[in-house]
Amino acid sequence: MCYFCKEYGDPEFGDGIWYLNPTNHARNMYKLRLPGERFKGAEVGLETGVHEGPTIEDLINATEKGDYEEYASIKQTIQERGQGSQVIPLEDADKVLELCSPIGLMACICRKGWRAIDERNEEEYTCMGMGAGMLKWERWPERYKGGVKFVNIDEAKEWNHLMDKRGFVHILMLFGAPFIGGFCQCDYPDCGALRNAVDFGLGTLKSHYVAEVDYDICNGCGICAQRCQFGALKFEVTSEKANIDQFKCYGCGLCETGCPREAIKLVRRETRPALAEVWT
Amino acid sequence: MITARKFPTITIDQEKCTVPFLCKKCLQICPEAIFHVVRVMAKEKRLEEMDPRIDGTYVLSVNRRDKCTVCNKCIEVCPIDAIKIEV
Repeated sequence: MCYFCKEYGDPEFGDGIWYLNPTNHARNMYKLRLPGERFKGAEVGLETGVHEGPTIEDLINATEKGDYEEYASIKQTIQERGQGSQVIPLEDADKVLELCSPIGLMACICRKGWRAIDERNEEEYTCMGMGAGMLKWERWPERYKGGVKFVNIDEAKEWNHLMDKRGFVHILMLFGAPFIGGFCQCDYPDCGALRNAVDFGLGTLKSHYVAEVDYDICNGCGICAQRCQFGALKFEVTSEKANIDQFKCYGCGLCETGCPREAIKLVRRETRPALAEVWT
Repeated sequence: MITARKFPTITIDQEKCTVPFLCKKCLQICPEAIFHVVRVMAKEKRLEEMDPRIDGTYVLSVNRRDKCTVCNKCIEVCPIDAIKIEV
């Protein structure tokens, strides 16, 4: 069980998965932050200023020195300061979109930073904001230069499926657990959440699922191998089938949705005891 | 476990590099995407919209020098010779 589920899951809803518990999407979740308390992650972002304390740069410097203790301590500080995020597969994303309101499409802040890609109009948007926080978007003109396109549930799902087709990994962003403030469409290396997770095991948790190949159905076409962002899935030359390293698998389900023969299925992480607590 | 390894030191001449968000050549050519462009972090100005055409509103930085392979593509592509890499 991931630590979000321990705190915010309800066995009655969505098998105890925290983001499928409707209570966590109630409008008043946004207000539950105590007044005056600076919430973890609330002020994170390019437009709001730098973090306090150590950064990824310090982590790199510790690596250069080979100082493992310093490395571990910096990593823990960054992890605790983070707001939290989790990979979710397409099917669960659709369920989350039914629980959230309002939903708005917006520009991606990571691509802006890492590749200077300026998404200025509705057709280019690759990020989604959700929940009561979106109603205040006009407070950050620099962040929302192209504005926000508010969409209904069906439009949001359609957009989400389009992003999945393009090959983006879906990540829920928490703006103070369990309040979900964003729903990102990520890829490596131009997405911060994914990049820190893959390179340092920081921030983003793996999903509640892992992908599995049915070797009887797989014909080794290799389409899935192009869609894996984590280096977990490859074409195994000897058997001429897809092969998944489930310890590396983030359970994003891109291989599943890309497979033309439905040879890949997602299974719940808990059903594989050795993987049950592999979240980073 | 981590092993000590010397990483390249990359310096950007901020005097020369004034409009990185508009130029974006190094940001987009780097195979490892080690560069990062951020808006100037003036606390009192953080709620204002800023025009990237104005000098100094965006600053180029190197966020992931551990990933630099010293392929020197950024140096070749930089129109103002603002990037230096020391191994």
